[in-house]
Amino acid sequence: MAGIESKCTEPEIDYNVLNSIIVDRYNQNRENLIMMMQAIQKQYRYLPITALRYLSDKVQVPLIKIFEIATFYASFSLKPKGKNIINICTGTACHLKGTGKMVEHITSKVGIKSGETTPDMLLTMDNVNCVGACAVAPVIVFNEKYYPEADLSVINTLLDQAKSE
Amino acid sequence: MQQLKQAAESNVNTPRITSPKALEDYRASLASKYGHDVPTVIICCGTGCRPSNAVEVAELLEKGLAEADFQGKIVPHVKATGCHGFCSRGPIVELEPQGIFYQKVKPKDVPEIIEKTIKGGELIKHLQYKDASKKVFTHTNEIPFYAKQSRLVLKNIGKINPFDIDDAIATGTYGALAKALSSMTPGQIIEEVKTSFIKGRGGAGFPTGIKWESCASQIGNRYIICNADEGDPGAFMDRSLLEGDPHRILEGMAIAAKAIGSNRGYIYVRLEYPLAIQTLTQAIQQAEAMGLLGDNIMGTGFNFKVSLSMGAGAFVCGESSALMSSLEGKVGRPRPKYIRSVEKGFRDSPSNLNNVETYANIPDIILKGGEWYKSIGTKESTGTKVFSLTGNVHNIGLVEVPMGVPLREIIFDIGGGVPKKRAFKAVQTGGPSGGCIPAQHLDIPVSFESLDQVGSIMGSGGMIVMDENICMVEVARYFTHFLVEESCGQCTPCREGLIRMEEILERITHGEGREEDPDTLEEIGKFVTNFSLCGLGTSAANPVLSTIRHFREEYETHIRHKKCPAGVCKPLYSLKIDEEKCVGCGICKKRCPVNAITGDKKKPHVLEIEKCIKCMECHKNCDFAAVIVL
Amino acid sequence: MKTLKIKIDGKEVTAKPDQTILELATENGIYIPTLCHSPALEPAAMCRLCMVELYEGRRKKFVTACNFPLRRDVEIKTDTPDIRQGRKLIIELLMARCADSPLLQGLAKEYGANVQRFSDLKDDCVMCGLCARVCEKVGGKTLTLSGRGVEIHVNTAFSEASEFCIGCGSCVQICPVNSIVMEDVAGERILKIHGREAARVKLVHCEMCNKHFGPVIDLTKVMSKFDKGAIPPSNANICPDCARIKLAKRIAGRYYDTI
Ligand SMILES: Cc1cc2nc3c(=O)[nH]c(=O)nc-3n(C[C@H](O)[C@H](O)[C@H](O)COP(=O)(O)O)c2cc1C
Ligand code: SF4
Ligand code: FES
Ligand code: FES
Ligand code: FES
Repeated sequence: MAGIESKCTEPEIDYNVLNSIIVDRYNQNRENLIMMMQAIQKQYRYLPITALRYLSDKVQVPLIKIFEIATFYASFSLKPKGKNIINICTGTACHLKGTGKMVEHITSKVGIKSGETTPDMLLTMDNVNCVGACAVAPVIVFNEKYYPEADLSVINTLLDQAKSE
Repeated sequence: MQQLKQAAESNVNTPRITSPKALEDYRASLASKYGHDVPTVIICCGTGCRPSNAVEVAELLEKGLAEADFQGKIVPHVKATGCHGFCSRGPIVELEPQGIFYQKVKPKDVPEIIEKTIKGGELIKHLQYKDASKKVFTHTNEIPFYAKQSRLVLKNIGKINPFDIDDAIATGTYGALAKALSSMTPGQIIEEVKTSFIKGRGGAGFPTGIKWESCASQIGNRYIICNADEGDPGAFMDRSLLEGDPHRILEGMAIAAKAIGSNRGYIYVRLEYPLAIQTLTQAIQQAEAMGLLGDNIMGTGFNFKVSLSMGAGAFVCGESSALMSSLEGKVGRPRPKYIRSVEKGFRDSPSNLNNVETYANIPDIILKGGEWYKSIGTKESTGTKVFSLTGNVHNIGLVEVPMGVPLREIIFDIGGGVPKKRAFKAVQTGGPSGGCIPAQHLDIPVSFESLDQVGSIMGSGGMIVMDENICMVEVARYFTHFLVEESCGQCTPCREGLIRMEEILERITHGEGREEDPDTLEEIGKFVTNFSLCGLGTSAANPVLSTIRHFREEYETHIRHKKCPAGVCKPLYSLKIDEEKCVGCGICKKRCPVNAITGDKKKPHVLEIEKCIKCMECHKNCDFAAVIVL
Repeated sequence: MKTLKIKIDGKEVTAKPDQTILELATENGIYIPTLCHSPALEPAAMCRLCMVELYEGRRKKFVTACNFPLRRDVEIKTDTPDIRQGRKLIIELLMARCADSPLLQGLAKEYGANVQRFSDLKDDCVMCGLCARVCEKVGGKTLTLSGRGVEIHVNTAFSEASEFCIGCGSCVQICPVNSIVMEDVAGERILKIHGREAARVKLVHCEMCNKHFGPVIDLTKVMSKFDKGAIPPSNANICPDCARIKLAKRIAGRYYDTI
């Protein structure tokens, strides 16, 4: 069960940080729930259950609704992500320029599928449907930096970089 | 990013505009700094150019110009702009007022640009644009890619610094809002928009004026919402507008607010556009500080506040009712209600939702009139449309043309045609809700109506050119897979139907297709179209239905002969080197990752099919088309 | 009040404005199959089985009967070849999830569906969403449809046994394919979804017979769902059987008292 797995690695939750997000920045307003969750995810690189329980309490939204949101939107993760994130664009322009093969390449090289993290927690592979840089397709994003017109050799360099940290 | 910060700070001292007249005066005062003849070095810092070190180029230019000795001549200032729409040639540098165009500028080119061109007036050959026939072009406005466009919506993009409201004001932005607030009634604004007959640019093509009118007639708090979720993967018109000219969109929204009687607006931007979020955030702050948004706009007593809201990665949130749910902080599933959002949308109140480009068209309609707008384009589809031209085409980028221009003109005259002497096969329009149009329809004029007739849609403006090496069955599979992943999952046809269609397409591309498969696909496709709950489902079968309609024989080749003529579906083709054509250059041998190719220099090479993993590196890189698909 | 003139399957009838097509059909004895509808809940229009054809002038539209509010004079056809074909496909697609459901088997017969057309998905749920909706309305907000697309399924928060379940059993009652199970074992009520434990609720001892009977209920919470003035029952800790005996004794006692 995903739930149990993530429980073991639950990080220390800093409630001051949560308050600064939920109360100070977003006024405990439930309409801002999705943006609060984005901020929490940014903080912990995923959505820790304890933080979501606290959020549920603070904004008075049932926990089940928060869980529903977390599983609906592709950018949320209930599992901890790796230290490095390689994001392969699988939008149409990039797909036609072969990003599908890049995904396969990474899977065969480091053994993770899209959305998965290496056991040493160094690398997560994600897919994004277009980052709007289609004119320089294929695009990959490594730790928020964009690599235009990428090829397998760029990926190999990035994989090495991820491993060395 | 020095540059961008400076712009932000310089605006701290900008005045509060207290009347429409004050705006005109302020604009006049900006001419000396922002006029067309002020020497300026423009560098594109859009999302497409940034990955190629555009920001570094900008910084080096700034530093280099500050240090260079100009011997009393005016030192040009550096301006970082949004996307010029020609990202495939980025980073792009333009020198004003001469209008010199440099492409693919690298940090190491900066000293040369300063010394030779800026100080010496000499052109640098290797930075100039050359077309397919190697003809060199010096000025931006001569390059066919730009020369054949009619840039109305995009006119400021690539010319102004999106982080600097003064730059926008200097070009006339907020003038239309001043006119609307000071000399027009809401009814007159709506009439003008109705006269223009502009149809929504987000996909459905609903007449904007009529939407505004029906929203204005509702009772209750009304909301103005901008759909900046740009979900079509492979299109970036809205991204470019948001990044390059955010004030034009804010102005359009404020005019809509005045017309409809709203004082609250939201922009729903997709999370994948971090730069657009930055430009918008700053633009809203600056406009509020100057009294161009917020309370008592330009002293006219009209209030309109705009906030940003971010999506979290869901294509379906571009659908209007799902977008409203997401704005309310809920799961973005389309609402099962037969009620339009102009009656009951965001917070169950009347809400007017328009696309980014729709709002961006409004200021000119107000300034120049609906009749003027209507004179552009066709009778049913007025005005211009921005397309994002990508795929196998020479000039990749944003293209704005009047409606009614033939597809051929966009792809061949502006786009420069298909590269590497390959044959054109199809153009995909409308993204995942659209279809593939084959060569025999290239002469149809682009308009909402004509694209619909050939089984595709206008959509939001994605246009992907596909050459002979693209497999139509695989394209259909790709889009269906995308939609399976993006379906919200609540209704049976979309959730269960699409996955079965994907299953069938998977098996065809693996060589296990059955004779009845195309018919079954059509049967399920029609059902998904008729029975789904929202627009995602009702258009989801389009990619499959349109490829079956125009490329049925390609499906049949896959099924009956177990062959993929385009060389895409791995189990269905093999590769061979044509001895006649091979000149023995050795590039294929070098590129092959598994050493499947052998041969001596200048002699025909041989490909060992047992070793080949069909990565297509040899095929892609052969300049003599000697690697052939069997 | 204004009434609407509706023609439904050739019959001229009148409808109240905003009445749904399904309500009108039921009133007039016309059967429209439904799967995700309950008159007690807001329509969700998810299963699409109740689709009908709507004609307005020359325009034909497909609309779902369970949630389409009638506002104009229109014609409705509930059983055309297109509609039957669509319903047949819905049933064929859902049979791949729940082949064992008698309800679906009945529908399959009615619409001539090929029950083995699509490969088995090894599931036990038709994704009507009724359980999650009823739980949100009357229960403890325990269940939801998590995920999206094909991955959508009925779930508790974080796929863990939920602490919010009040053991009301509404989800079990409402499920059209009986895929939610509730068992009372050793003083506890266990809720199972997809064969997995989804919640565990303590049961109350009857003060009289000492047997377990219903879930421990936070009465103040329940009472808050009623209008003001609702009085909590005095015998909440007595099982229905003993309550009846107690009442009988009281009546009998009164009777004995009077003689
Ligand atoms: C699945 C789906 C995705 C959509 N995505 C977008 C989008 O990304 N951007 C957009 O402007 N409209 C999108 N639309 C269309 C909107 O629902 C809506 O029609 C549009 O924003 C209205 O604005 P307009 O009248 O100015 O076009 C989408 C529709 C559907 C059904
Ligand atoms: S058509 Fe697809 S996206 Fe739309 S409601 Fe149905 S399942 Fe959701
Ligand atoms: S498709 Fe990859 S950036 Fe747009
Ligand atoms: S981002 Fe520079 S031209 Fe598009
Ligand atoms: S009963 Fe109407 S859609 Fe399910």
